[in-house]
Amino acid sequence: MHFRNRRRSQTHDVQFNCEATSLMCLCEGEKGVIMKAEGGFGIVRRLAEMGLTPGVEIKLLRKCPFRGPIEIEVRGVALALGYGVASKVFVKQLRADSNG
Amino acid sequence: MAEQLRIALAGNANVGKSAIFNQLTGLNQIVSNWPGKTVERAEGTLHYKGFTIRVIDLPGIYSLSTFSMEEIVSRDYVAVEKPDIIINVVDASALERNLYFTLQLLELDAPIIIDLNQVDFAAKKGVKIDAESLSKALGVPVVSTVAITGSGISELLSTVVAVVSGEKKLKPLKARYGKEIEKRLPVVEKLVNDNLPQLSAVYPARWIAIKLLERDTDIVGKTKNYENGKVVLDCAEKSADRLEEIHGEQSSVVIASERYGLANKIAKAVTIIESPPKISLEQKLDALTTNKTLGYPILAAVLAAMFAVIFVGGNYISAGLEYVFGILTANVENALSQLLPQIGVDLINKGVLSGVVAGITIALPYIVPFYILLALLEDSGYLPRAAFLMDNLMHKIGLHGKAFIPLMLGYGCNVPACIGCRIMETERERFLAAFVVVLIPCAARTVVILGLVGRFVGLYAALALYAFDLILVFALGRVAFKALPGEPVGLIMEMPPYKRPSAKNVLMKTWSRTKDFVYIAFPIIIAGSLAIVALNMTGFMNYIVNGASPLISGWLGLPVLAGIPLIFGILRKELTLILLSQLVPLASLTAVQMVVFSLVTMIYIPCLATIAVFTREFGWKKALAVTLIDIGLALLLGGIAYRLLSL
Repeated sequence: MHFRNRRRSQTHDVQFNCEATSLMCLCEGEKGVIMKAEGGFGIVRRLAEMGLTPGVEIKLLRKCPFRGPIEIEVRGVALALGYGVASKVFVKQLRADSNG
Repeated sequence: MAEQLRIALAGNANVGKSAIFNQLTGLNQIVSNWPGKTVERAEGTLHYKGFTIRVIDLPGIYSLSTFSMEEIVSRDYVAVEKPDIIINVVDASALERNLYFTLQLLELDAPIIIDLNQVDFAAKKGVKIDAESLSKALGVPVVSTVAITGSGISELLSTVVAVVSGEKKLKPLKARYGKEIEKRLPVVEKLVNDNLPQLSAVYPARWIAIKLLERDTDIVGKTKNYENGKVVLDCAEKSADRLEEIHGEQSSVVIASERYGLANKIAKAVTIIESPPKISLEQKLDALTTNKTLGYPILAAVLAAMFAVIFVGGNYISAGLEYVFGILTANVENALSQLLPQIGVDLINKGVLSGVVAGITIALPYIVPFYILLALLEDSGYLPRAAFLMDNLMHKIGLHGKAFIPLMLGYGCNVPACIGCRIMETERERFLAAFVVVLIPCAARTVVILGLVGRFVGLYAALALYAFDLILVFALGRVAFKALPGEPVGLIMEMPPYKRPSAKNVLMKTWSRTKDFVYIAFPIIIAGSLAIVALNMTGFMNYIVNGASPLISGWLGLPVLAGIPLIFGILRKELTLILLSQLVPLASLTAVQMVVFSLVTMIYIPCLATIAVFTREFGWKKALAVTLIDIGLALLLGGIAYRLLSL
């Protein structure tokens, strides 16, 4: 196994425990399970309606540089999320070898 | 008497509702590959087996909550106007997410038929949906279709008729939630039934109860309006609090999770995976065009290529047409002068004929290629990718990436672009987006920029004008963003897969847009030309010219006659160039004058149609404010440009 070049993204001062990390902390191609989304009532509800409910598995497809948006795959659909939205969605990272 | 039926097409964004609508009605509702295109419902009528069927194409939505304007509109249409049948168009290649919406339609007790669309695309992804099992699971008929080719459409219609005539019975699935929710729902439902008879006459009581548990702002607000609403609200609130305590999530998320749980179960049971997904050409293209380093140069190249094609193609066609029509008009003039007195010849020739010729030779050569390229961009699915790439930059002006889509459409025409701003979620963002959209040089202004500056001064000068406009849009957007109170919203957008644009659809879209342009623009061009001839003959022209001369020639450094086209330009922007060409030989203008004239035309006022649609969307005060800001800005910048460029 080689070391994965984990860029701890720019989410600066927030301390994450090993369980829940922000969606922004995943690397391209990595998978995770949604734990919780934070933010305003409307945003959290909309995220749930777009399929980002607790327990669902997602895959990070790509990230844009400079605090740009990310694209994820959830429930068979590609979804773009802005940096601000995505950094408040917390996931439990899945090991690359444990699940497909 | 034929029996009247009303059916509505409902479903997620970008699943092919408009394509189904076109197949059903034979109309040409615009079809594209980006979510949120249909913002205004379209209506059409068809006749089938003795029925007169009115079809309504609703905007695509993901949920029946109140996140966006479209969702409230669609929800009220379904619940209040109660169409006879709702055709729920479902994307077979993204069944789970689509079923989430279906389940909500069922909660509303809506009579639905499932149109399993894009089965061809699902097959490409190696997925097959067992329509019969899906029909059993949901208790409603399911018809497989491919909207673009029209396959399955007649079966869809016969199913509609079979359901209406009672041949086919709907036994819709009654979705049950988990224990914690189901324990509380009946209590709230009973209170709704007892205390809100008016509301439960419109919406099903169980549905109202669910919405109250979700703390849906619209339904909570409606409940508050009733005398006994408070009793119901108190109970619902307590239940929602308790649910949130148990699950540690806001209640709407708890309910959405359970709905998705059911959608997932059904989708899994009816999906047959025929072959493992292969990495297709489309996916490779997707990866390339949204690549973090290559994506931006590709975006820039796409846009630059677009303008290069329009410029080169437009110039070429324009010159060719001018030659042909030059000979033609000379002949017509000769022929006419033998038949009519001079004044008649002038009226026909200068008023009608030269207006039409100018419209054909100056406007159409740039507009038609533009529409073709825009249609290609829309149908391929590139627009959402561009929006994704631009999200970062758009945040700087208080918007998010999605606003880039109406901005791009604005290059075609500001009118649909202003309406397209409805894809933004909040009123504030809609206005911010529309404010910058009206500054985008539409096809008509492109005609002026390319047809005047591009042709006589050079491509670089024209490109500089575009670049300057982008800087202006950005700067003004930033000022407006800082000036308007409110919190910016983040991007949440579906990325539709790339699709090969169909030649038929591209041509049809180009044709229908060009037709609109000709029908609307040409009468105005002719009227404008006639008015100028009349002004000239009556001598009124001199008054206007003299009155405007300090501003036009003193401040802007333009020939005094240029004031006339600028006044008429409020009707249509390309009219400025067409009328200018009739008043002054274009080649006699200096380069600086051409640039200043184009710059002023580009900014000085949204055209009449744009002002009208802006007023409808945002009210006359905002429309007036934007108009005045733009006029002031154009005169200011035009004067400055004149002085700077003359140095």
